[in-house]
Amino acid sequence: MNDKTYRLVKAATNIVSGLSMATLIILGVSYIGFNNAFVFNNAGIAVTNNPVDSGQVNFILEGNRRHECTLTRVHSDAYNDATGESFEFDFARKIYLRSDDYLGSDTGIVDHQWAMPVPDGMGPGVYRVTLYSEFDCVYLLFEASKVQMFDNIALIIK
Amino acid sequence: MDKVKNQKIQKQVERWDLFARLTPTLFLATSLILVVFDVVPLEYAFYIGLTGFAITAVSWWWWAIFTIRYLITVLSRASSNLTDVNDEIKIVKKELEDLKDER
Repeated sequence: MNDKTYRLVKAATNIVSGLSMATLIILGVSYIGFNNAFVFNNAGIAVTNNPVDSGQVNFILEGNRRHECTLTRVHSDAYNDATGESFEFDFARKIYLRSDDYLGSDTGIVDHQWAMPVPDGMGPGVYRVTLYSEFDCVYLLFEASKVQMFDNIALIIK
Repeated sequence: MDKVKNQKIQKQVERWDLFARLTPTLFLATSLILVVFDVVPLEYAFYIGLTGFAITAVSWWWWAIFTIRYLITVLSRASSNLTDVNDEIKIVKKELEDLKDER
């Protein structure tokens, strides 16, 4: 290898190495950002038809979502702190009121409304609802399973 | 002694240079292939990369500290020796002038 070729090879490997290092750093930082991100940001869930007297509880979820996430499992309970009773909501009987994307993967502003029947045997009173949801999220090459919980959602049954 | 150690440091610099030029590209290519073909989960590749980065950073830091310390020692010894030579030249010059005056 003559001197000119050696210099060219050295310069080329320097450039490729620099670009690789930059790619590794960008991918690493993006991965940490993706892994630590919540599914929903600035989000909250509320009951929109308190006090409930129709046998159907209407929920609203507002916030925004940065990554594409698909809901894989959801579970919600209502606790009555006065009586110590708890009731599980039946998500198989959920109907969407505004959007059908809660299960989907759109990013951006989230504004979903859905309704579920009042669980059997749930009497009048003030309840504290918790919602536990699991998602599979993807971003570029990355994939991660994430959990997001919402609690202290006030529900009044008339 | 200094010459041997200097050559050793020169070789170490060349090895660091080669390592810096090859490792990022090799690691990126290998991990991309392994992740794309599902041989290794992305999480493992990330932690292996992070560990390698940390080990390299610490090793390089200590190597740099020891090398700089050695170079400063060599430089200060060379400077001191030069001062001694300069002083001796002054003495010889003075002696030569004295000898010239005596004649």
